[in-house]
Amino acid sequence: MTHLVDIILSFVLLSIIFSFGSSRLQGLIKALAFQGVVVSIVPFFIGHDITEGGVLFSLTTLLIRGIAIPFYIYRFIEKVAAHRELEPIIGYNGSIFTGLLLIVAAMAVSRKFSVPSASTSLLLLPTAISLLVGGMFLLMARRKAITMILGYITMENGIYLVGTTFSVRAHHIVEFGILLDVLAGVMIMAVILQNIKLKMQSGGEDTSLNIISKE
Amino acid sequence: MTPIIIFIPAILSAPFFPAIILKVKAFFGGKKGPPLLIQYYTLAKLFKKGSVYSTSTTYIFKLGPMVSLSAALTALMFLPISGAAPLFSFKGDVLFVLYLLGLGRFFTIAAALDTASPFEGMGAAREAYFPIICEATTFMIFILFYRLTGELTLASFFYGNHPLELWRVAGAPLAFVVTAFFIVLLTENARVPVDDPATHLELTMIHEVMVLDHSGPDFGFIEMGSFCKLFFYAAIVSRLVFPFDLGHPAMNLAAFSLIMLLIYAAVGVIESVMARYRMDRVPKFVLTSFALAFVATIITLEFVK
Amino acid sequence: MVEILFLIPFLAGVLAFFLTAKSARKTLVATGALHFLLSILLWVYQPGAIIPAYFKTTHSGLLSLLVISLLFLLISIYSTAYLDIDHIKKENVFIGTMLLFLSTMTMVTLSDHIMVMWIAIEATTLASAPLIYTHGTPASLETTWKYVFICSVGIAMALLGSVLISLSMEANKVDVPMSFSALATVAKNLDPMWLKAGFIFILVGYGTKMGLAPMHTWLPDTHSEAPSPVSALLSGVLLNCAYLGIFKTHKIMVNAGLGDFSGTILMAFGIISVLAAATFILRQTEYKRLLAYSSIENMGIIAFGTGLGGLGAYGAILCLIHHSLIKSSLFLTSGNILLSYGSRQIEKTGNLAGHMPKTFVAFFAGFLGISGFPPFGIFIGELLIIIGAFQAGRTVWAGIFIFSLCTIFAGFLNHAMKISFDDHQAPIKITEKARMIWPQYVLLTTSAVLSFWIPDALYRTIVNAVVAFGGGF
Repeated sequence: MTHLVDIILSFVLLSIIFSFGSSRLQGLIKALAFQGVVVSIVPFFIGHDITEGGVLFSLTTLLIRGIAIPFYIYRFIEKVAAHRELEPIIGYNGSIFTGLLLIVAAMAVSRKFSVPSASTSLLLLPTAISLLVGGMFLLMARRKAITMILGYITMENGIYLVGTTFSVRAHHIVEFGILLDVLAGVMIMAVILQNIKLKMQSGGEDTSLNIISKE
Repeated sequence: MTPIIIFIPAILSAPFFPAIILKVKAFFGGKKGPPLLIQYYTLAKLFKKGSVYSTSTTYIFKLGPMVSLSAALTALMFLPISGAAPLFSFKGDVLFVLYLLGLGRFFTIAAALDTASPFEGMGAAREAYFPIICEATTFMIFILFYRLTGELTLASFFYGNHPLELWRVAGAPLAFVVTAFFIVLLTENARVPVDDPATHLELTMIHEVMVLDHSGPDFGFIEMGSFCKLFFYAAIVSRLVFPFDLGHPAMNLAAFSLIMLLIYAAVGVIESVMARYRMDRVPKFVLTSFALAFVATIITLEFVK
Repeated sequence: MVEILFLIPFLAGVLAFFLTAKSARKTLVATGALHFLLSILLWVYQPGAIIPAYFKTTHSGLLSLLVISLLFLLISIYSTAYLDIDHIKKENVFIGTMLLFLSTMTMVTLSDHIMVMWIAIEATTLASAPLIYTHGTPASLETTWKYVFICSVGIAMALLGSVLISLSMEANKVDVPMSFSALATVAKNLDPMWLKAGFIFILVGYGTKMGLAPMHTWLPDTHSEAPSPVSALLSGVLLNCAYLGIFKTHKIMVNAGLGDFSGTILMAFGIISVLAAATFILRQTEYKRLLAYSSIENMGIIAFGTGLGGLGAYGAILCLIHHSLIKSSLFLTSGNILLSYGSRQIEKTGNLAGHMPKTFVAFFAGFLGISGFPPFGIFIGELLIIIGAFQAGRTVWAGIFIFSLCTIFAGFLNHAMKISFDDHQAPIKITEKARMIWPQYVLLTTSAVLSFWIPDALYRTIVNAVVAFGGGF
């Protein structure tokens, strides 16, 4: 009755809610890793031609999105020993409700769009939208800079899901370039944060990792 | 005739299963644990005693235990235990049963408030707060079941191999429902990680603190009522995780008992490996069950369309 | 063979990481010169690409490339002098990153594939991050974080936009390579709904990078924190690269018959940017931030002109070129001012005309140029845009536009007078070196010359670039 992909994707939806409710960085990273893994294996399931290059590329994506990035961030947190609490701007319960509303909205919105090749899976578009908007939400609703990075990665995952599944057009080499950019971006952000942390520790200024924009 | 044959032993066996939890916990603690019939001894001991009533209490205080027990018992009558036909069933009995349990809780809370003890008031506040979210979850689940089956009776959801039908239509999201319902089970019955039945500090109690002032047969009623309530939720979960109809009532009953044992054991394992949540974290935990049920409903309705 | 243009700076950049400071500087200037030479050869011969699916020389790309190349050469010469005074710990890393930055920007101008362009633009963000962080102060760290993060998130939007455009192809079963040039030819067949959505996301995404208000918040901080040669590069070239992405997408929209839709949005963003800049310029206390806001203003003008189409589009391209020339000269000059006064505050400066007459000439000429005075090209560009706006019957838009320009001029003039002529007694820290003056003179002279006489090849390229918008005379 339901496509295998839908079952996996329903867990992704759940992981979004989970990451909204998670008060610890570790939980968020786990959710992120799971999303990364799912997002990179989805192309296997939706009837694209499975070629050697495709498999290789998907595995690389899996390696980077599902393992390398989360692991890197995890190590980063261990290193700078960031305070584990997330300091939400919007509380966890509020976030969970927002997440639920978000999923409903995503379902409603995606019903309006006629997406080519969406017939294979009903949940693809809603999941992609939820990841995208969910990432943005995390980005805004948490005070910590590291959470912003996590939100950014979630967003990227959402875009990737739209990209790989709905358009068969992009070449693997191009997608690989995008992937490298994202990876490099995340690493650079983490390095900057690490330096900020070091500077603040030595300078004895405000010791939290918070960075609030100023005009 | 069969309903009665199943109902009576079910009630009688309700105090047996909680002992499993104790056994599992004892096993994890490397202890021998109490005998399997411990709860029967406890009940017998309680019913032999007399009750002591504080002079500040009214008849509400005496009413509480009786109403909560009878509400739980009545609720069980509507449940297709082990997939057999229930004692009663009418259209919309789902709502009736839910409110019946609500009524039981109301009187427990009222009795607790009647003592005018500040501790009990605190427990009552918590008891009123957390189950609200549980009710939302339960409603969400039953809304989902209603959309799937088009009927509104517990029998139509859980009788025979009807749960199998639910699984067939809803698929994986039903796993969310099972998880959600299990969380509801833990919350409604004051188990770890929401509440610790073994705690000795009134400040951290939820359910236990409300019944501190009850004694003797009254306390026996309360204990029996909570056993029945736990049995009720566990029976529903067991129907969901084991949705098959084996053809013969006896075989069904055997399978059902086995699953029930496993569920109680699972509760025991959870109590052994988890710590109780900080009080302000509890709503989030309970809310998780709502989120699960909600997501399951949305996803499933998308497919059913 | 066009790939050589970004491969050479890339290799040189990697090489520079392993060189000593002295030889790294030589590499920088040599690569800049070689790159400039190659760009001119590219203009003359216009060779094909090794991977034609991804890279192609386009008119708009050629224009940006030439500007980038010229600017980089001059800035690299300036940098060698600048680095003598402003001590940077790891000079080879700084120079190497500058070269990598050049490489990524060149790639933007040459890329034709939508996704490759995205990759290149994101790469410019990443390559420029270490440059902004050069001084290693807490403030520069925070700025770098802001820059990388806001731009990355913004550009992620552009990626989504690009994906949506590919959806618009998928929806109507259009089977062409996903390149700007190919899509522009079949634009009519694309699904309009997805195309519109794609355009909006791309505009927001690349608009963030281009500094359009209200996504501009990173820009003033970044331009003021970065070392002056880097600010000049960021403002003069990087913004153009982001603009290129919007420009090319807008072209697809116009060809698809959705030019009104995308044009109006562009104009709105343009006007908002100009207004925002006007508000902030009036009460600015730091001169580098002042210049940064002026960049926002000019990007707004360019977006406005592009959205207008016709004469306005031609004017926008003129503004684009001249803004790069003049603004980078101004940032280089601001580097001189910063080094000599040791402060970014306008308060702490004064009497530039007396202390450093040569720098003063460069500064004041640049100021006049950026405010739209003849004989510099921005004057012509803005004039054309205003005429274009009246021709198109957009009188209200034109009114707001002119009002903002006047306000900005007033604010800018106030600050420029203060810097140039106010009393300032304290001694200044540096002497004017030739290498820190004449790159600005070259840039300003180029701008002045170009506004009187445009080489035929350049003129034709501009007209060809905007012909889709009904540009030219």
